[in-house]
Amino acid sequence: MSHTVYAEFDIQEAINAASPGEVIHIPAGRYQGNFIVTKPLTLLGEDGTEVISKNNEPTLRIENTATISIGNLKLSGKSKAIVASNVDGLELSNMQIKDAHMGVHIQRSNNIHIHDIHVTGSEGHYAEKGNGIAIYKSEDILIENNHIEQMQDGIYVEEVNSIVVQHNNVTRSRYATHFMYTSDAKAFFNNYLSNVTGFMVMMTTDIFLENNTVENHSDYNGYGMLLYDVQRASIAKNIIKNNRTGLALQKSSMIQIDTNDFQMNQTAVEGTKVSDNTKASHNSFTGNILTARSDQLGFQLNSNYYDDYTGIDIEGNGYGDVPYVAMSSFGQWMVRQPVYQYFVASPSVVLLTSLDQQINKMESRVLVDHTPILAINHEIVNNKLDVVQTLAGLLLIVSSLWLWKRGITE
Amino acid sequence: MKKWVMMILLCGGVMAGCSEKTYEPREIVSETDVCKICNMSIVHNAYAGQIALKNGDYEIFDDIGCLMEYIASNGDEEIGAAYIKDATKSEWIDVFKAVYVYNKVYWTPMNYGVVAFDTKQAAQEWMTQEGEGKLLHYKDLHDFNWGIHK
Repeated sequence: MSHTVYAEFDIQEAINAASPGEVIHIPAGRYQGNFIVTKPLTLLGEDGTEVISKNNEPTLRIENTATISIGNLKLSGKSKAIVASNVDGLELSNMQIKDAHMGVHIQRSNNIHIHDIHVTGSEGHYAEKGNGIAIYKSEDILIENNHIEQMQDGIYVEEVNSIVVQHNNVTRSRYATHFMYTSDAKAFFNNYLSNVTGFMVMMTTDIFLENNTVENHSDYNGYGMLLYDVQRASIAKNIIKNNRTGLALQKSSMIQIDTNDFQMNQTAVEGTKVSDNTKASHNSFTGNILTARSDQLGFQLNSNYYDDYTGIDIEGNGYGDVPYVAMSSFGQWMVRQPVYQYFVASPSVVLLTSLDQQINKMESRVLVDHTPILAINHEIVNNKLDVVQTLAGLLLIVSSLWLWKRGITE
Repeated sequence: MKKWVMMILLCGGVMAGCSEKTYEPREIVSETDVCKICNMSIVHNAYAGQIALKNGDYEIFDDIGCLMEYIASNGDEEIGAAYIKDATKSEWIDVFKAVYVYNKVYWTPMNYGVVAFDTKQAAQEWMTQEGEGKLLHYKDLHDFNWGIHK
């Protein structure tokens, strides 16, 4: 039978005794308790420092202070691992949080930098868990290089002004990143895999989602990205792959969707109640079952590449000579009744979609791209003479002729 | 004799047809249920709502604000019954008869700050613990400014 031994160093006593600005080095070992920091300090664990919550209170609380740095710790417990309230200047780094209900919870704080934290939730349904990193009513936040799995929302952001979320990995959670009531948000180079939804963005203004990879969100309610009631968003250079719906826009306006790579989604882009200044341009659509679907309002498609486009380019300018029509009756029905998705590749739907494309070429006013691109990276290459290849070819021909003639004469 | 049996069966059929249809609430399924309005999955059951439509369908909501937005958009002609979770008992209660309390600091899934109770007394008890709020009734929810209040 194993026996847990706890280290003798008293963390709370060291915190209480330290002068503001001091650095506390925690010796390696297992510590059990609930600790509170209310003054500017640096808390650094030596390699192998583990802190375990004693009860249902947070393992570590940081309150009403400034300039705090905490790093190199393993944390675990039944409740929240770290809770920070009313803090101006906080850095959390190099931590492993395991089996806690919630990883990091920040509220009413400014100038927060959270990086290199690994949060792993316990097995079970996400409805029974808390969030990996949650930020409420705060400003100037940077969350980067974190790895989160099996939580409710990997990164939850509510009522935050000015936040950057970058280079994070979130898997097997409900929403990889969930923005609510947030403004001035940026998410770059994140890798979100196999959650219910990659990006859930709600009631948010001025958001940039760029260079992210959102992949394998293919459950019944899965989305690569879902924007609900969002104003002014730029969605660019993302890889959106193998999701039930790659990108869904609802009740949103001024959304720019540029240069993204939509691959193998059931539906690549879906729009409902979207303003007419929403535009998808220079994107690549490959291997998707439905390229786009919308309500009667639609959204603009402009100069995108579609792998199912069948037109030709007689003018040689790189654009198809006839419009690409993404409009599909079945797609419109699926917007109204999502359960129809299970018939999406049936022979009758394929036939209906083909008929649609023929009819809608003349009539459709929404989801039509008048300048479809014929190749993803269109380049006009002039015929050039490759001198080396030409000489090698000539040499081969002459040699063959010589051998042939020699064969005849002998 | 046959006539009497026929008469009884006929009367029974007529009475069954005339009786008022009841619409019972159904359980939330976290794996598949999402809010009809905002698409959020239902993970905070204590705030969930649902509308049982007369055609037998159910529409599920994560917050009373989303339920009211549905009614505002679709009207109430097709609604058989509407339910909201009592914030303390976690039981389904009638949306039209519930007592509501609003305070911007009360947390709800959409942060609208409106929670529901079966009685005024339960609402008062909630306010004693969670902070004073404004008492509302169903008719007040139509004019309520749904959104986040700073």
